[in-house]
Amino acid sequence: MKKLAALFVATTMIASLLAGCGAKTSTEAPAAEAAAEAAPAAEEPAADEAVATAAASGDVTIWYYWEGEGQQKALDTLIQQYNDSQSDIKVEAKYVPFADFKKQLSIGVSADELPDLVILDNPDHAAYAAMGIFADITDKFDVSNYYEGPINSCTLEGKLYGVPFGSNCLLLYYNEDMLKAAGKEVPTTWDELLDVAKACTTDKVSGFAHCALQNEEGTFNFLPWVWSTGATSYEINSDGGIKALSMVKSLVDEGAMTKEAINWTQGDTMNQFISGNLAMMINGTWQVPTMRTEVPDLNWNVAPIPMDTKQASGLGGENYAVIAGGNEDAAIEFLKYATAKDQCLFMMNAMGYISSDSTIAEGQFTGDAVYEAFVEEMQYANARGPLPEWPDISDAISLAFNEVITGASTPEDAAAKAQTTIDGIVGK
Amino acid sequence: MNRVKRFFRYDNIGYLFVLPAFIYMLYFVGYPIVSNFILSFQDVTVKTLKAEEKPFVGLQNYIELFQQDNVLTTSIWNTFIFTVGCLIFQFIIGFALALFFNRNFSFSKPVRGLLMMPWMIPITVTALIFKFMFGTDVGIINYFLKSLGIISQNIDWLTNTRTAMGAVIFTNIWIGIPFNMILIATGLTTIPTELYESASIDGAGKVQTFFRITLPLLKPTIESVLILGFIYTFKVYDLVYVMTSGGPVNSTHMLSTYSYKLSFEMFKYSKGAAVANILFIILFIVSLLYLKYVYTEEEA
Repeated sequence: MKKLAALFVATTMIASLLAGCGAKTSTEAPAAEAAAEAAPAAEEPAADEAVATAAASGDVTIWYYWEGEGQQKALDTLIQQYNDSQSDIKVEAKYVPFADFKKQLSIGVSADELPDLVILDNPDHAAYAAMGIFADITDKFDVSNYYEGPINSCTLEGKLYGVPFGSNCLLLYYNEDMLKAAGKEVPTTWDELLDVAKACTTDKVSGFAHCALQNEEGTFNFLPWVWSTGATSYEINSDGGIKALSMVKSLVDEGAMTKEAINWTQGDTMNQFISGNLAMMINGTWQVPTMRTEVPDLNWNVAPIPMDTKQASGLGGENYAVIAGGNEDAAIEFLKYATAKDQCLFMMNAMGYISSDSTIAEGQFTGDAVYEAFVEEMQYANARGPLPEWPDISDAISLAFNEVITGASTPEDAAAKAQTTIDGIVGK
Repeated sequence: MNRVKRFFRYDNIGYLFVLPAFIYMLYFVGYPIVSNFILSFQDVTVKTLKAEEKPFVGLQNYIELFQQDNVLTTSIWNTFIFTVGCLIFQFIIGFALALFFNRNFSFSKPVRGLLMMPWMIPITVTALIFKFMFGTDVGIINYFLKSLGIISQNIDWLTNTRTAMGAVIFTNIWIGIPFNMILIATGLTTIPTELYESASIDGAGKVQTFFRITLPLLKPTIESVLILGFIYTFKVYDLVYVMTSGGPVNSTHMLSTYSYKLSFEMFKYSKGAAVANILFIILFIVSLLYLKYVYTEEEA
């Protein structure tokens, strides 16, 4: 019994270590394998080049994190078409869950086991560009027609480290029947929002919510309040920042916004809305296809996020980034194909995204009022960062509104604390 | 040649049999520990992850964590509260159930088997179910408490900094009871029934039998259960990550979840490694105490 127990202790400790340090364990073995694999791989393209002068060839591996079946199928179709259209380059996609994506990329960096192309969340782009894992593709790719926000997210110190895949932004979704029953119009200002949300709140229904998780997702949904006052993401301890925090506090205190939102992802928030538990929510473009299939009979519509002094929304979306030292030429060739008008439109429509290429976005959704509202809102959409230390900033901001929503801190104290962290990073 | 022969002649050959296990341990246990300690003495962030030479900063990560970062102290405190809170209740309830099912009434075996269920359900599933059950407006727990008239207003279990820890502990107690129950039940079967018979002939009461026979004879089992339970509970990760992700406002952050957050959400790899090492050192000390205890017991 005791020996058995001792064995238990030993195994447990091993397990705890593997859990903690597994990331680092894998450093050497795969690196060695990779080196072994790399040797013949390096020869092959050279041999090919000798035969044909085509510069780009070989395999291209893509990492992405979309979990929706429709999204995965769309990407597969795009890749299949590309592979069939030529014979030099073979593209392959690998799904990595969103929760593991940053971890896998970090491990990949230290283990030298990276793909050739990644499709990643745009606020993280700057951090990875700063690590030096993305290839500088300035002058290799024409981005003159792209919207400024998405392009900024791929740029670091004046150099282009990626291409926007597609964009989305946030709007206020509202349940038309509930607002009508309460006898209210769509709110356009913060006071109206509070008033309408209170009027719609019943035993079963919360008037308003947005995802307020203590992470990047929550920050994304909270920041439009700050921007709407004219303050920037780095000015939380300002009149605007405190005003935004106080506004959220009064929504929660008056019961107009459910506190449970601090445990809701954007997907959870959407589910509460389509189940009829929410009268209004802030959510993104990508929810539209799901909502249309899941609840075709629900009367809902979108409107700009209620504002303080100016209209503001959050810019989301993914970027393509070419990994430095991978099969760069072939990856760029594929990018050129994937971002051409026909392919881009196919992907955007399948995924419910707005093209980041303004020439494609205009006219992408003609006649669809909901999507047109999102395209219209794109000009008010602000990017987060770009800054390599954005995750730290984001953490400070999300901690601040979580402290305020739970009542752990006053808006003033929370703002001051967040500002100390932010100043420590931005160095004011 | 002679030397080689001599080496293999006697017990030395044993070393050869141990060698594979030794190499395995060295690579899969030794290497990560050392590598993690080295990482925690460097300053590895987004900017230095790919660099050839990683800046060496000595104990700076630890000093910064303890001096400037009150989330670390919160998470150490939380981890201990969580562990002790879970252990006390798991153990007492598990013990009581073990005694109860030891009486061998009809159906005692199948019911005891059913009680193992919480231990067999994947923790992520349990965590999700309890997350729904602890929901403020739609959760079944508030519904029951309200129908029974115990509370008049819904309690925001998981979104209140004061109640979130209690809810997480409650969930983990539910998961851990079967583990305690089954180990103690096994221990109970090793106590010879003759002892109880002679005790009853001598006129010992129920309480006396329990404190004079059951408890002393179960002492080794109890100690194993508590120490193993401590180690299992102390390194909790998945349950907390799914239920609260350390929130609200860091009130349920454990050393494990905080280490993960530093490393893979904020890209402060060295600080994350430092927190993981603190977790490791605490568990290492507990394990040493346990091994020392087992060793002295076996010698005696």
